[in-house]
Amino acid sequence: MGDIRPVYLEEKLKEVEDSGRLGYRSKALPTWCPGCGYFAIVDAVAAALCEQCVPYEDAVIVSGIGCSSRFPFFMNAYGMHTLHGRALPVATGVKTANPALTVVAVGGDGDGFAIGGGHVPHAARRNLNITYLLFDNGIYGLTKGQTSPTSATGFRTTTSPYDNTDRPINPLMLLLSYGATWVGQSYAGKPEHLRRMVAAALAHRGFSYLHIISPCVTFDKTHRTYVNLGTKIRELPADHDPSDKLGALREAMNDSTPAIGLYFREDRPTLDDALDTIVEKAGGTAARERVIQKQAGRKTRG
Amino acid sequence: MSTDIQIAIVGSAGDGTIAAGDILRRAMAEFGYRVISFDVYPPEIRGFGKCIARLRATDEQAYSLKPQSDVLVSLDDSHAIPHVNEAREWGAVIYEGGSVGPLAEGTHISAHIDPGQIPYNPPLRELSEKSTGSARSRNIVVLGYIAGLFRLPVEPFLRALNSKFKSKADVAKKNEAALRAGYEEGARWFRLDDVAFGPPPAKDGGATVEMISGNAAVVRGALDAGIDNFFGYPITPATSIMERLASEMPKHGTRLLQTEDEISAIAATIGAGFTGARTATATSGPGLALMAEMLGLGVIAEVPSVVFVSQRGGPSTGMPTKTEQSDLNMAVYGGHGDAPRIVIAPTNVEGCYRCGGKAFEMAEAYQTPVIVLLDLYLSNRYETVPFPAQPPFEADMNRYADTRGGKAAGFKRYALTDEHISPRSIPGQAGGMHIATGLEHNELGRPNDQSAMHTAMSRKRHEKLKAALKHPDFTAYKRFGDAGPVDVGIVAWGSTFGEALEAMILAREEGIRCAALKVVMISPFPTEVVAAFMADAGATLVPELNYQGQFAGILQAHVARPVTRLARVTGEPMEVGEILAEIRRLAGRTPAQQAA
Ligand SMILES: Cc1ncc(C[n+]2csc(CCOP(=O)(O)OP(=O)(O)O)c2C)c(N)n1
Ligand code: SF4
Ligand SMILES: [Mg+2]
Repeated sequence: MGDIRPVYLEEKLKEVEDSGRLGYRSKALPTWCPGCGYFAIVDAVAAALCEQCVPYEDAVIVSGIGCSSRFPFFMNAYGMHTLHGRALPVATGVKTANPALTVVAVGGDGDGFAIGGGHVPHAARRNLNITYLLFDNGIYGLTKGQTSPTSATGFRTTTSPYDNTDRPINPLMLLLSYGATWVGQSYAGKPEHLRRMVAAALAHRGFSYLHIISPCVTFDKTHRTYVNLGTKIRELPADHDPSDKLGALREAMNDSTPAIGLYFREDRPTLDDALDTIVEKAGGTAARERVIQKQAGRKTRG
Repeated sequence: MSTDIQIAIVGSAGDGTIAAGDILRRAMAEFGYRVISFDVYPPEIRGFGKCIARLRATDEQAYSLKPQSDVLVSLDDSHAIPHVNEAREWGAVIYEGGSVGPLAEGTHISAHIDPGQIPYNPPLRELSEKSTGSARSRNIVVLGYIAGLFRLPVEPFLRALNSKFKSKADVAKKNEAALRAGYEEGARWFRLDDVAFGPPPAKDGGATVEMISGNAAVVRGALDAGIDNFFGYPITPATSIMERLASEMPKHGTRLLQTEDEISAIAATIGAGFTGARTATATSGPGLALMAEMLGLGVIAEVPSVVFVSQRGGPSTGMPTKTEQSDLNMAVYGGHGDAPRIVIAPTNVEGCYRCGGKAFEMAEAYQTPVIVLLDLYLSNRYETVPFPAQPPFEADMNRYADTRGGKAAGFKRYALTDEHISPRSIPGQAGGMHIATGLEHNELGRPNDQSAMHTAMSRKRHEKLKAALKHPDFTAYKRFGDAGPVDVGIVAWGSTFGEALEAMILAREEGIRCAALKVVMISPFPTEVVAAFMADAGATLVPELNYQGQFAGILQAHVARPVTRLARVTGEPMEVGEILAEIRRLAGRTPAQQAA
């Protein structure tokens, strides 16, 4: 609790303005409920893009449907606000067609693990070179409070008025076993940590998965409140080795007191690398150069 | 002397029937004839089910097979007997003439041949054994026999054999021996049939004629149009589109990915389309059903994408290896909301090539999903196609916005314009940032559900497509047959148009005044053209391969005139004879008048 000190609005505003990250925010103000954890994520992503000097026009934010998936509208970048559950396959198309772009997929727990759950393993195993930010509030926010695949057993929602009887999935364990090459967790209530983690995820070459625990202040007054989470969430042990997958799985298994930090990272050829290898095998490397030039030429028309 | 000869080979899966048909059509194409050819085989991968290979060789490209064959070859009498009637009078029937051991009465084909049909019974098995040491080359022997009998040069057959089997030296030797043994036997015979091959037609200047399947033609069109990306999930009868692209695209430096399902295939296609790339996916009915929601995103977000759909028997898993035209409603209307899209349906293999390339132009020009609708019959059939020296496709039909000096987040991606098409920007283009969303939006692409905005944007999405009917250098519809008033007008689409045209030609030979309208672009619907055509016709006949008459239904939603539906679901192509009978009936011809 050592870093708590009074922050004055003007001071904060100046810091944000000077950083240049405001440029990555659109004029549209987020439409989320006051207090929603998602606000912190917008700032973290803007800061990370800014830190890496990604030109606005070279970033593409792809989302599904949900409160979380409104995200692209709040960024000054290209974006696709697609269908419930389909951010990853759409992002696969964007990145495959133009690997020069920085592609970030975002979405909720329902979006990513209920309706879109079938896509996650494939983006991970292919090592699609994008960042996937999963906003986990353990509930369906946009549709006003139904159970999600990450809702706790016993959680009472509009569709589980006699308590949720299902057990929640463990996304971190899933992503580790699916073969994601960067797996981390952060918490919307720790903006500094979040900012660092988003930046690290973005810097990773390969499929980076950042699980962001985020309270839905409107539809969850009992489980994932800031108060509850604040007491439960811990940091990964200082000696955790992110190259140790079994160690990462062991840490991920402990979901009663979730740990934030970098669970796992490895270097592996990306989907882009694999597709380039295929082109090479087929003898199309020179042709590939022309395709890339054609792609680059398109955007300069006008 | 002109050539118009149809040969059917009937046998079981173990007889090499389809392989024989393939070599035969390759040889005929090499001679220089125009070829159309379609095989029927059982759904099982292995076994002894009935296989039929049919091909028609002509001087000018035919649109369909003929109702009757000039030559019928039996490699298996039990399968061929029901098809004896298919051979015409004074046509040839070729079957195994060697000893076949004692047979139950009626199980030998010779008992079924009509007096007017000319039988030939070479000892295929014996010739195969003598020339190659095994009976397995009967199919090759019979090809040699056909060459000998009809006095055709043997070299094109040899080259077709070698190119098909890309064989090792010893196999090539055996094939050649079998072919020559058959040839010698055939050449010994004095012929009584009246089947005659004329000299092949002179070559077209400029174009190179190649024999190719419908799916291969689609691929060729896509490659010639400069396809950048393909995402797909295997399904009969569309799989070979993806398989061919998988081997071809990397040579062009472009990328293909097999996705985890059809939802991801269309999702990735649209994602790639957003970046300005030319992208496509290919599927059949079940996959198109899964794509319905995502196509709606393509419509509202106005992202170009191309979906090749090869229809098969439905609903559900239906009849995966049988042909049908029953996904038309889904292609045109499938999905939720008012989601207009372009649907084009080629009617022959050359059309597959043109549509395969033009679809990318249209997707860009009108900023919309374009569905190219084939069916198994069209995907799998072979035709000779004259390919122009230069691909007839524009490299880029995007209308890019000039966003230089544009203000951040101020770009009107969905600007309301007179022709309803908004200049677009793509990622990487400075000043053009916007969000492509499935939510109703304003000109900036920001969510907006005001009544006036939804009305304006809905109008834009519908009206912009109308220009596609006049898309440059594209035949959206075409009239054949008599000009002016006719007794019977046929309006047909997709693969069935070929049989409709053949029936119309035969009806005109009988003196019936008739015309056929080919409709390639079904959405948007060429209402005025169809209405004018029908106004000129005493009766309108709409033949198609589905139970409800889906095309007739769409037609009548646009043109309030009666039509006669000839809707069939046999899993097979429509029979020319059936369409002809219907034309006669509508023209008021009684069977007696017919005979006269
Ligand atoms: C095909 C489809 N089914 C259902 C919906 C309705 N729907 C919209 S968002 C949503 C759930 C959102 O939950 P989550 O993904 O966790 O995002 P959150 O709102 O919590 O951020 C649902 C069920 C939809 N838009 N599309
Ligand atoms: S409903 Fe919940 S998740 Fe949605 S904006 Fe409000 S607080 Fe955030
Ligand atoms: Mg949620």
